[in-house]
Amino acid sequence: MIKNRLWLWGLALLTAWIVVTIPLVGMADSGLEAGLESGLAAQMLANRTELSGGDQATSFKFTRTAFAQPIPNLDRRRRRVFSFGDRLFNTQWVQAPGSVPSLDGLGPLFNRNSCAGCHIRDGRGRPPIPGETRMLSKLIRLSVPGEDPHGGPMPHPVYGGQFQEQGILGVAAEGKTQITWQEETGQFADGTSFSLRRPSYEFTDLGYGPLGDEVLFSPRVSPAVFGLGLLENIPESDILQQADPDDVDGDGISGRPNYAWNEEAQSKTFGRFGWKANEPTLKQQIAGAFNGDIGLTTPLLAASSCSEAQADCQEAATLGDPLDVSAEFLDKITTYLSLLAVPARRNVEGSLEQQGEQLFYQGQCASCHLPKQRTGNASVQAEFNNQVIHPYTDLLLHDMGPALADLRPDFEASGQEWRTPPLWGIGLVGTTNDHTFYLHDGRARNLLEAVLWHGGEAQQAKDFVQQLDVSDREALVAFLSSL
Amino acid sequence: MPLEILFRRFGAAVITAASLAGLQSAQAASPIAPTAENAVVAKTAIAAQGADLAPYLESYAELVYQTYESSKTDAIALQSVIEAFLAEPDATTHAAAKAAWTEARQSYLQTEAFRFYEGPIDFVDPATGEEGPEGRINAWPMNEAFIDYVQGKEDSGIINDPSFEISTAAILENDQVSDEADVTTGWHAIEFLLWGQDFNDAGPGQRSFEDFIPGQGNNDRRRTYLELVTTQLVEDLTFLETAWQPDSDNYRAEFVAEAPEETLGKVLTSLATLSAFEMASERMAVSLDSGDQEDEHSCFSDTTHQDFVFNAAGIRNVYFGDYADYQGVGLDELLETVNPELNQQMIAALDQTEATVGQISAPFDQVLASAPGSEERAVVESAITSLEDQAELMLDVAAALGVEAEILAE
Repeated sequence: MIKNRLWLWGLALLTAWIVVTIPLVGMADSGLEAGLESGLAAQMLANRTELSGGDQATSFKFTRTAFAQPIPNLDRRRRRVFSFGDRLFNTQWVQAPGSVPSLDGLGPLFNRNSCAGCHIRDGRGRPPIPGETRMLSKLIRLSVPGEDPHGGPMPHPVYGGQFQEQGILGVAAEGKTQITWQEETGQFADGTSFSLRRPSYEFTDLGYGPLGDEVLFSPRVSPAVFGLGLLENIPESDILQQADPDDVDGDGISGRPNYAWNEEAQSKTFGRFGWKANEPTLKQQIAGAFNGDIGLTTPLLAASSCSEAQADCQEAATLGDPLDVSAEFLDKITTYLSLLAVPARRNVEGSLEQQGEQLFYQGQCASCHLPKQRTGNASVQAEFNNQVIHPYTDLLLHDMGPALADLRPDFEASGQEWRTPPLWGIGLVGTTNDHTFYLHDGRARNLLEAVLWHGGEAQQAKDFVQQLDVSDREALVAFLSSL
Repeated sequence: MPLEILFRRFGAAVITAASLAGLQSAQAASPIAPTAENAVVAKTAIAAQGADLAPYLESYAELVYQTYESSKTDAIALQSVIEAFLAEPDATTHAAAKAAWTEARQSYLQTEAFRFYEGPIDFVDPATGEEGPEGRINAWPMNEAFIDYVQGKEDSGIINDPSFEISTAAILENDQVSDEADVTTGWHAIEFLLWGQDFNDAGPGQRSFEDFIPGQGNNDRRRTYLELVTTQLVEDLTFLETAWQPDSDNYRAEFVAEAPEETLGKVLTSLATLSAFEMASERMAVSLDSGDQEDEHSCFSDTTHQDFVFNAAGIRNVYFGDYADYQGVGLDELLETVNPELNQQMIAALDQTEATVGQISAPFDQVLASAPGSEERAVVESAITSLEDQAELMLDVAAALGVEAEILAE
């Protein structure tokens, strides 16, 4: 017994020595890590892997369907559930009563009639482009000041919690969103100028009267939906360990957990999904999207999204089955989404990418976009348990400054706070979704613009990037594109 | 690199030997001493992975070419019947066009056994973003309301939107852009234009030829649309035929020049994926599980049954190396020298699939309309099992031949 322990200690010491020394040797060799203190350099080298989703949930397909791949080696039972969930994800829901009762129930008010309509190929949405007259994969959350009984946003008394821009026949749509973009110029330290576009919003064709002066709104594009089974399996305690709500360590970065209403637990629990970490579980996130975005009720959210003031909507919602999506279907689509694999990182050995990677750590981007997480052992999918993964997020809320603020609190999240979004797969959005619009509202037209919008707790990181010369900026973008 | 190959070959030999040892012990009556047999087989396996794969792959390439060639020929035949229909739209010419579509599908369905390894049909060029024509040719499910009117929405679709210019460029530009289901081209777009939506419990869609009489409503736009997407289909199939034609500077030339182990792995991955994922899961199990009568691959024409039959035939073609008059080298011949037992199992599984798929009652939407637990549904379940079984055996075949294959899902 004692002998064993000594042996273990020996191994531990040896490992520690290797972890500390090897990277240092590497540093001396390459000279690349010169600007990085040794702890960070070691972290960087340890995180330099293509296995973004861990050993068993990483996909190596980099085509237009890169985000639509299941984890490898599904057995036939799971393949069948996956395929069916995929079918539900692509289903274009129709108005009830339809010829197929299991797949009807659209609306009465809704944004799109399918999941895949916004999350095309399981990917990322965007704001309208010139020529498009409506928002195809972006929506507006609504509320008024105050809190609902569960501590969440107080829904708008007439329009509810979301601006639904479509209605079924006989139910007026809530209206249209008009976005005006204003260019604002800035300069890098080397004198190169850049331009960012700031959105402003106007709501027209209002179906239910004025929105009022008090209305709070939050524009959000649909995020990519892979890797969520892994994120759900990161132990809450590990995430909380990274939190520093009062910035005790004085680095200017807080990191606060959100706690949101959990329908199954009937209490507030840790929130990890959504732009403001306002959804506690993947299943509830999906039920919420069904309810708000497509107008479908589920066992988890059984009430329609019509407000009490919307009589036509209320009446139309009584048609068809009481529940539009059965418990079985909700479970299957949840399994489908959780089984979507994470695309592997590309060009890990590229010198430009490695130069950018170093800048990423140097600029303290890695403080919030935490490169590495470990999963726990709570998943029903064995492939998701006890994995080292590289999502580049801490799943915590950060004050991102006034420029990005939506000024709409969402449970614990203030009007300036957003959840750090994962960066894995971000370089593939152009391939999967034919665009490169980033941030919660898609205002950034490329990765560098997304970085330049950072403020608040990320002000220093942004300033760091603004000081970079053109080759370093290209290197940083090359690194991000490799994720 | 040589070490890795050596390891893979040696590893495969061990696997083959081990699996044979298992078979041997199961067959106690076998007169051959296990050790001697194993040694011989192991040696043959190594040989088979070296020089012996190339003739099969040469033959496979020819089989692919011949199948695409007949698919293109059939599509051209469809095109001329559609032209005749548009020249003189009536019930007879309309029926002929529908018959020609159904006929032309048969060779195409057999080419689906050449998907899933980023060959000409579904390649992606990472530099340019250019993709193979699969999505244009056979995308499904489709949102028919994006193309033309549907029940309850007479002005729906780009055909009925006068602001939309009906041109090939405009049609392609709108293919699956704002929604994956917004399919504008390919077999199922033509199918929808010929048959219309299927609200007919006892048969296919009932669109009238009158939709194509010139000069009325949006008929001229519909006529142009049908003509253009048919032409596009012929062009895409011609592209595939060209990519596989012999003695050219094309994909086929690269294909036969690649490392045979890797190439054979692709071929087997393609068969296993078509079998277990595309057929068993996507096209059969999903339809059964949704309880939606029209949740089937060729729902407008009610020809889903033949989709299954000819997809399954496509898998057999590749295994036996034969297509129509072309009698090439088969994987069966290759495997017979390495692991005859496995070859027999594989052949039995292919036969089983052919039999169970053949038993699925047509039209398939009647199966879907039947109650849970019905006899019709049980037949489809057994076809699913056969397809899954044969896919798993394909992976065993890959291992026996010393190559890597997998069942993809996307």
